[in-house]
Amino acid sequence: MDIWQHTIVNNLDKFWAGLVVTVQICLIAFSVALSLGLIAALINIYFRPLRIPAKLYIQFCRNTPIYVQLMWVNYVWPDIFGWPNSFFAAGWMALGLQSSGYLAETFRAGIEGVNHGHIEAAYSLGLSPAKTLRRIIMPQALLTMSPSIMNQFLVLVKSSTLVSVIAVPDLMYQALRLTSVWFEPIEILSFTAFLYILIVFVLSHAMKRFSDRLRERYN
Amino acid sequence: MDFENLKEVADLSLFWEYRYFLLRGLAYNFYVFFLSATLAISMGFLAALMRMSQWSFVRPFGTLYAELFRNCPEYVLLVWVHYVMPLLLAYLLQAKVNFHPVVSAVLGLGLAYSGYLTETFRTGIQAIPRGHLEAGRALGMSGGLIMRRIIIPQAIRQMLPEIMNQMVSLFKATTLISLISVPDLMYQVSIVTQQEMRPLPLYSGAAVVYFLLILAISNLVDLFSEKWRTQYLTR
Repeated sequence: MDIWQHTIVNNLDKFWAGLVVTVQICLIAFSVALSLGLIAALINIYFRPLRIPAKLYIQFCRNTPIYVQLMWVNYVWPDIFGWPNSFFAAGWMALGLQSSGYLAETFRAGIEGVNHGHIEAAYSLGLSPAKTLRRIIMPQALLTMSPSIMNQFLVLVKSSTLVSVIAVPDLMYQALRLTSVWFEPIEILSFTAFLYILIVFVLSHAMKRFSDRLRERYN
Repeated sequence: MDFENLKEVADLSLFWEYRYFLLRGLAYNFYVFFLSATLAISMGFLAALMRMSQWSFVRPFGTLYAELFRNCPEYVLLVWVHYVMPLLLAYLLQAKVNFHPVVSAVLGLGLAYSGYLTETFRTGIQAIPRGHLEAGRALGMSGGLIMRRIIIPQAIRQMLPEIMNQMVSLFKATTLISLISVPDLMYQVSIVTQQEMRPLPLYSGAAVVYFLLILAISNLVDLFSEKWRTQYLTR
């Protein structure tokens, strides 16, 4: 119990600080992923001249391991684009890139899954293409896509542990640092693993319930 | 945009110079992949059977196993297996235990993906109509025989795309083993980077290598598994 006291209880503030960084990076990365994914999907479906670059982008993001992408963004981008200038930015950019590829595919499938008659009906009512997309296609597509979007968020939360490798002070980073300070890996790492399992478990159940409820209401 | 640096990214001479060193790293990726895939499939199948067991007291253990490993990030699990498991085993066995990094890598990735596969196997097996099982019983087949001859052949065709997806992500996850110092491709790349101080072509090259490799693997797998899968599927 003594070990528990001086490794975990006395360092709860560090775990908390790490958790805050994890939450921040996940939220930023997921917003980036959603917007990049939506752009890529829309280009892929509606804008023919740029279809091949968009497809290449999606395939690259999907088929490159997140750790490789993280290293690539962190070490190569600053010398070419002059950005990202911090580890934090590199972390969310890499996580966002990875998820945007998967989300683009989800968006494409969802948008293409909308009944074509609905789109024709919208056009015959005189709705503009943009309005059709916003009012007719997206609400229906979002309903069918919501489980896989949420699933992608869980994947992103799990991958976010990797940003500790490039010294972003997230939960995993704090845990590894405390381990190297106290040399008590059993308590610290088990506690961290338990925290992550708890977070992901709670998130996945909350999301499942949410998407079930959405479906019940609108389907 | 820095064009001097952009030119350096495309410079493949460094890759060629260290080709054997890097290929040896890639061999580790495949080695760990095959071992952990075997572990994941067998443990996942066992846990799925536990979740569907006739004895109700076994079922919660299967569920616990799946939830535990499915919800744990792979990196956290790898680190836990590498640093904590040997210590726990040492307490239990009262002896000094040390895991070789490859052992930890196989255990960590295998356990993580067995959690995902449990769900896949369970839904795949439960999708087989109950009538088939009853028909097998009526013909006097034993439980094991029904599983082997009736349920698995049908279920595997249903589950194959999902299993293959998991296998592709398992292969992607093998890049993480460099973090517990298995000398895989990423590890070798970081070593060469330290020697040559030229991260640009090396990390870009690694990204491109993985991209092409995984793209090729996933397309080939899709091609062959679709053919085999739909051959006998009459629906």
